[in-house]
Amino acid sequence: MRRAALAGLLLLAGCHARDSRKLVAVIVPSQDNPFFKAEADAAAARAIELGYRVRVDAHEDDAYRQDNLVDAAIASNAVVLILDNAGADASISAIRRAAKAGIAVFLIDREINATGIAKAQIVSDNDQGARLVAAEFARSMRGVGGKSEFAELIGRESDTNAQVRTKGFHAVLDQTPWLTMVAAQSANWSQAEAFSKTETILQAHGNIRGIIAGNDTMALGAVAAVKSAGLKGIEIVGFDGSPDAVAAIKAGEMEVTALQPAVLISQMAVDEADALLKTGSTGKPEVQVIPCDLVTKANAGEYLNFEKKQ
Amino acid sequence: MSDGNRSRFAAVALLLLKLRAVLVLLILLVAFSILTPSFLTANNLSILAKHVSINAILAIGMTFAILAGGIDLSVGSVAGLAGMVAGGLLTVRIGGHTVGVVWVVFAALLVSCGVGLLNGLLVSRIGVAPFIATLGTLYIARGTALLISNGKTFPNLGGTATSGSTGFSVIGQSFVLGVPLPVWMMIVIAALASAIALRTPFGRHVYAVGGNERAARLAGIRVGRVKLLTYCFSGFCAGLVGLIIASQLESAHPATGESFELNAIAAVVLGGTSLMGGRGSVRGSLIGAFVIGVLADGLVMMGVSEFWQIVIKGLVIVLAVTVDQVQTKVEARMAPAALGESIAKVAV
Repeated sequence: MRRAALAGLLLLAGCHARDSRKLVAVIVPSQDNPFFKAEADAAAARAIELGYRVRVDAHEDDAYRQDNLVDAAIASNAVVLILDNAGADASISAIRRAAKAGIAVFLIDREINATGIAKAQIVSDNDQGARLVAAEFARSMRGVGGKSEFAELIGRESDTNAQVRTKGFHAVLDQTPWLTMVAAQSANWSQAEAFSKTETILQAHGNIRGIIAGNDTMALGAVAAVKSAGLKGIEIVGFDGSPDAVAAIKAGEMEVTALQPAVLISQMAVDEADALLKTGSTGKPEVQVIPCDLVTKANAGEYLNFEKKQ
Repeated sequence: MSDGNRSRFAAVALLLLKLRAVLVLLILLVAFSILTPSFLTANNLSILAKHVSINAILAIGMTFAILAGGIDLSVGSVAGLAGMVAGGLLTVRIGGHTVGVVWVVFAALLVSCGVGLLNGLLVSRIGVAPFIATLGTLYIARGTALLISNGKTFPNLGGTATSGSTGFSVIGQSFVLGVPLPVWMMIVIAALASAIALRTPFGRHVYAVGGNERAARLAGIRVGRVKLLTYCFSGFCAGLVGLIIASQLESAHPATGESFELNAIAAVVLGGTSLMGGRGSVRGSLIGAFVIGVLADGLVMMGVSEFWQIVIKGLVIVLAVTVDQVQTKVEARMAPAALGESIAKVAV
């Protein structure tokens, strides 16, 4: 019995050795979120296309878990690590360890507070995207004299992107004379939480004319709450460009969202990694900031699963 | 102070301690009514009750598990799983036909009761500690929920009239006599559960098993079966909550219900149920759920930051458990006979 198992193991190991393709490790925050799923799938698809083996893992925004996954990538001799990291400071040591082990690390979606360790940091411009959304929100709320009240749903407040987006929103909204914010609550990126908090906020502030949310999931929770309250004419905007939000924009339930080019960023990261392995250089600067697209009712048909249709 | 006065004072103090959850609830209601003008409106109270119903239904199921000396950590994951089962069945087309909403609801509840049954079997037949058994099923249920859709959300569960799939949104969104349906579910479940706990042999058996399992066994109570049923009921309640949330949002997300078990346990503890089992009530858990819900909604209406909301919720729980300990000590100090006498005096 034991001998059979050993033989099986050797056979497996043999198969492994025969697969001469180099390994690309992809680590993203989670696989139960359409955004991270799209980014992981895009990276995996492009890497396989270019002749690599791929392994995809999720660190669930837990820096310790990320640490273990990076160790696993080192142990399995990965040549490239495509990482959407678990914290701008908390991830640095793990990334440095991977780099020292000879893995080319490409950061996507989120930056770290250090340069010179990763080969590239390719991120979407959260600040620019937030300003785009906020400007459109302000325009759509331009009232007939007097102030228009709005509420903000913030993401998980310990998350850098939540902070950058709310700052971007306020850079525009605080300068807009006809707007006044009457409530700001965190809904922790969650649809169910956004639903119940919006219901409560609408009770406290009956004159709300708009809701600006730090991501599409929360915006969709707000859509459900507004619908359940039987209210009409409340402008709701989000961020991310998720397929559900694009559908809601088409249906007129949401106003706009900022689409983060997640698929494009993943593909760029894999392409640059491939270039680095083949030519010794990515040919690009380390930090690359990719602008977000504004998705409106007029152009919603052009976007699909975090990318612009070709 | 004479002896009579002292015992009367102690009796009043004890009564206040026993009613603490109600008192806290009343204080919160009065405070928020003063601080936020639109708090005490019929519309807001209706929405508040709807928000509370989610946690209350979970807490009622949890109460039985805890009364029988166990605990059910899997409820949040089971709620998520039930939503995903419903979402999957509402989305799938079998031979070009949609699955009827009634069957969808039935299947989701069946799966939830199934997880409860698994919990019950692990605890009662194999003897796994409830904390461990339900921690295991917490992960199993969550992982299964993720597997059902490969991590994606099931959107648009409202259905379309042409495919005959409408009706799912009734569960979470409809009103009966002006009151949201989830609130009616909470009321019916609370009334039934309370009657079962107080007026049926099964209810007494639950208390007996939690109070002293060995004595219950020697008295001829089928301890294993009692435990099994408490976990099945808890699973059922969790499944119902998953359906309500999916129906309200008209979408099912596999991460729904994360950490709901902690809120449910908090409600049960706030309601005066002992985590050791054998002591507590369904009514208490209901009040506990209202305390947590009123606090959450009231603080949101006042515009208090999320971080403070978390701290305040924690403080209320710690305070409740502290008072619980004080009550136990006061009760122990007063002789039962004297206690009866002084309560009679207060009543007069």
